[in-house]
Amino acid sequence: MSARNPGIDLDLEWVSKVKVNTQAVLKRAQQIQGRKVGKKQWQAAWLLKAVTCIDLTTLAGDDTPSNVHRLCLKATQPVRHDLLKSMDMHDKGITTAAVCVYPSRVADAVKSLKAANSSLPVASVATGFPAGQTPLRTRLEEVRMAVEDGATEIDIVINRTMAITGQWAGSDFIKTSTGKESVNATYPVAIVMVRAIRDYYLRTGHKVGFKPAGGIRTAQESLVWLALMKEELGNEWLSPHLFRLGASSLLADIERQIYHFVTGRYAAYHELPMA
Amino acid sequence: MAGSTTKTVHDIFQSMEYGPSSSSSSTAQSWLDQHSRSLGLFIDGKFVSPTGRQSRTVTDATGGSVCTTVCATEDDISASMSSATSAYKAWNDLSCYQRAKVFLRLASVLQKHSQCVSELCELSQSPTSPATLVRLAQYYAGWAQIRDTSMPDWTPRGVVAVVGSDDCSLYSLWLKAIPALAMGNAVTVIPGVATALPSLLLAQLFVEAGLPSGVLSVLTGSDMSLGAQVAQNSQVNYLTYSGNKQDGEMLAKQTAGWGVPVSYSLSLSSVCPLIIFESADIDSAVDGVIETAFKKKREWRWVLCVQESVWDSVVARLRLRMTGMKSVPLLANSDRAVVDAAVQEAQQQGATLIQSCTPPPSGSAYPPTVLCGVAPSCACVVSPPPGPVLPLLSFRSNAEGVTLGNHSPHGQAASIWTEDLTLALECAKSLSVGSVWVNSHSIADPSLPLSGRKESGTSTDGGREGLYQFLRPTQSPPLPRSTPSSVDYSSFGSAESRASIPEGADPSSIPRSYQQFVGGQQKKADSGCTKSVSGPGGAVLAYCPDGGRKDVRNAVEAAAKVQPGWMKKSPSARAQSLYSLANNLEKRGRDIATSIHKQTGLSLEEASKEVELSVFRLYDLAAWCDKERGGVQLLPQSGSALSIPEAIGVVGVILPDRKPILSLVSLLGAAVAVGNAVVMVPSEKYPLPSLEFIQVLVDSDLPAGVVSVITGGRDQLTHALANHSVIQAIWYWGSKEGCQFLQHSCCSPLKRLWLHSEEEEEKQGGGRDWTHPSLLEEIWREAVVWKSLWIPTA
Repeated sequence: MSARNPGIDLDLEWVSKVKVNTQAVLKRAQQIQGRKVGKKQWQAAWLLKAVTCIDLTTLAGDDTPSNVHRLCLKATQPVRHDLLKSMDMHDKGITTAAVCVYPSRVADAVKSLKAANSSLPVASVATGFPAGQTPLRTRLEEVRMAVEDGATEIDIVINRTMAITGQWAGSDFIKTSTGKESVNATYPVAIVMVRAIRDYYLRTGHKVGFKPAGGIRTAQESLVWLALMKEELGNEWLSPHLFRLGASSLLADIERQIYHFVTGRYAAYHELPMA
Repeated sequence: MAGSTTKTVHDIFQSMEYGPSSSSSSTAQSWLDQHSRSLGLFIDGKFVSPTGRQSRTVTDATGGSVCTTVCATEDDISASMSSATSAYKAWNDLSCYQRAKVFLRLASVLQKHSQCVSELCELSQSPTSPATLVRLAQYYAGWAQIRDTSMPDWTPRGVVAVVGSDDCSLYSLWLKAIPALAMGNAVTVIPGVATALPSLLLAQLFVEAGLPSGVLSVLTGSDMSLGAQVAQNSQVNYLTYSGNKQDGEMLAKQTAGWGVPVSYSLSLSSVCPLIIFESADIDSAVDGVIETAFKKKREWRWVLCVQESVWDSVVARLRLRMTGMKSVPLLANSDRAVVDAAVQEAQQQGATLIQSCTPPPSGSAYPPTVLCGVAPSCACVVSPPPGPVLPLLSFRSNAEGVTLGNHSPHGQAASIWTEDLTLALECAKSLSVGSVWVNSHSIADPSLPLSGRKESGTSTDGGREGLYQFLRPTQSPPLPRSTPSSVDYSSFGSAESRASIPEGADPSSIPRSYQQFVGGQQKKADSGCTKSVSGPGGAVLAYCPDGGRKDVRNAVEAAAKVQPGWMKKSPSARAQSLYSLANNLEKRGRDIATSIHKQTGLSLEEASKEVELSVFRLYDLAAWCDKERGGVQLLPQSGSALSIPEAIGVVGVILPDRKPILSLVSLLGAAVAVGNAVVMVPSEKYPLPSLEFIQVLVDSDLPAGVVSVITGGRDQLTHALANHSVIQAIWYWGSKEGCQFLQHSCCSPLKRLWLHSEEEEEKQGGGRDWTHPSLLEEIWREAVVWKSLWIPTA
């Protein structure tokens, strides 16, 4: 995570002046989706970059210490060592950006990572995830407990009741959605959000990060997300301290694509270690 | 790309650059190999390579030779034209359905070979998406199908030549050729170097789609002179040109006097304003700028106009977005010096630069550059340099934004950015350009007419509106062809008026002295000179003013002053003025009929009939005033598209000898009905009825200056009209030499010309029938220019 955003006083006039031309944004989204990042080593390099931006996530009701443990170890070695080695990337510290779990599983994750000598951050979705419709007191308590257990990043579900009625809060990162909605991270919405980040940066000099989450499953989509960040905000936003991809199954597809780049063959799922 | 393969995954992981775009051209290469890298002319449905011809080499972006094309000679032109003439008959005899089928089949053939088409376009540096060509074919298949039902009074021109300059785009060339074919014409395409290969391929695909041999030919040459040579062939009925201004001017001079109507689309040389208002979605607007302004091959040249209140915001975003953009290859090596000089000059005048990187010390590539804080007077705004350089101007109010956008000799297109609907529509209305894109740019669809104003062209392409250039009214005979006379362009019409000398006339029967009508007032000629008007027997009937340059100037000034207000009046108000004009004409019917009788020797009964018809004609035109209003266009994209007829501005009319009152009223009525002002020159031979008509104008409620009538020497007045840049169109009936003079001299500044050599028409049976009702639409279409408005929505 980059330097903290100290925030500014709420300026609703600024918010009310924002203009968004929907068709222009949709057109831009299509254009970004059509942007080719390149083939061969370009594709491999971009995919590895995507890996380093992943918040490797499990948010299931039946999460236990054992599957969280597997997730943590996968996060520390996201791509098979021999594959990295053949690209000469084995010693470049390729890990995911963080693991992301429910508050009750933070302690398990911290323990697993510590045992594996990893300093990978643990993120948690505290604050009444995914609806956010719990009282402020319990939400704050949830955050405190997750932090006590060792979480260093908290994905807060904002109080949408307050947002919709115009009472906003600041943050270091903004996230498209919880990933649990029927529509989650879409490119047009992301364009509007990252432009708000740019606006805030131009006005205050503070850089806010961006995290799309939900439904990002394919390697190709991860490339589009990176291209979107590069096009709209520039290369500086192409790193885990300003960009995260919230995903669970994405990594498996990326690893298969990398396998194909290295070997020229398509991998069966069992050939690559599971999370 | 040298060095790109040595980049490691880790290098790229750190730089996060995009990879090289893979550009295979194997399909196009094998097509070229099949033709042994030497493409012939496409005549009579096949490639022919006559021996002993010069050849021209087509090169790719790296300067390597791709293929050679043949330079057509006079013999090849004749061969192509004779095949076109016979093919035209066969093609036009097919049913609409049969012609439509060809275009639909073309669409599927294009889809089948899209890889080859797209690669060939890329190779010859004329990048075009095959999808746009498919859309052209499908759109015009529809017009081919419904031609006879929707345009029953119109007939194809015959043989049409479509000429493109070397830098003209494939789309703009075929946006002319395909509708010309769809309307039933035979077409000869004379492409420029960049469009030669794709055009030849398209011709082959057309044959595969079932187009009869000879209907479409493609002639390649070494330069623009081929287009002029083709125009000189007597089989050609119409020529339309798309490309840059210099080549267009040359073509105009070389085709003058050959009796071929020529129209010009000069979008390539046009500078278009991109206006960002404070009410815009600034991010999307900047995005639009980035997308359109720094391309290697640009269809449009832009000047960016930004409202002062959002200037910083736009500049900051441009800076961010332009960071890291790569240098853009210039089209010619020599461009680099021009770009350097322009940028340096702008800097000397205080402009600051936004540049994606420092320009390399030499070489034919230049980084995207915005020249901030230049003024309209800077050379880089007057004529923007080639390459990825964008001048950025500021304006204060919304109205000033429009003024800034309009203050240009060009009138091709404008892109305006605002979320304020009222502002968008008002701005679209006030901009004197052919296309207005709201919150978007560069949208080209065949259903949206492209029609340049001012220096941007005289041709309307696309839409229903663009079809009429390839048609003529069935009842009007085709324009007679001619060969140029030896006209001394510098002395044409420059003879001085001479003051009359006392002749000792009989005081009891001194003929009446008429006055002309300038700026709403009856006046003598500025020179004070008069001319005598003789009847059929040679007797002097009257004296009329011998008007000249200064009278034209006064009339045009009055017209220019009043015309914007006249155009803004509601159509129904204009209709009322025309009704009242008609009623006044009816009241003075006897006087006017008598003047026709005295002037031409026509029987009084016939003359009264002409007056009566003229009254009807004015009623017709008054009725049209608030009825014909263009319409809503349907595009594949979602949004609202409108095409709107607008007035041209000030029109100069040299009236015909035939039907002096009916022709005057028809031309005046149509021009004025849509909001133009006219400066009319009555027939030099038969001015009396027009002079009598001045009384009708005096009694009318037309604002002073909307109509002026100036009598005098036809050539002198033609010369005066041609030399006034405010006049945007000239409708001419007169001598062959006059036509030739106008074609030669009205290409810079450009005017819309509607030329008729009356003497030639008489030889061929008399020209148009002024009494025919279908004439109305023909004149109306001459009197308007089209504006297309595109408002995309989600």
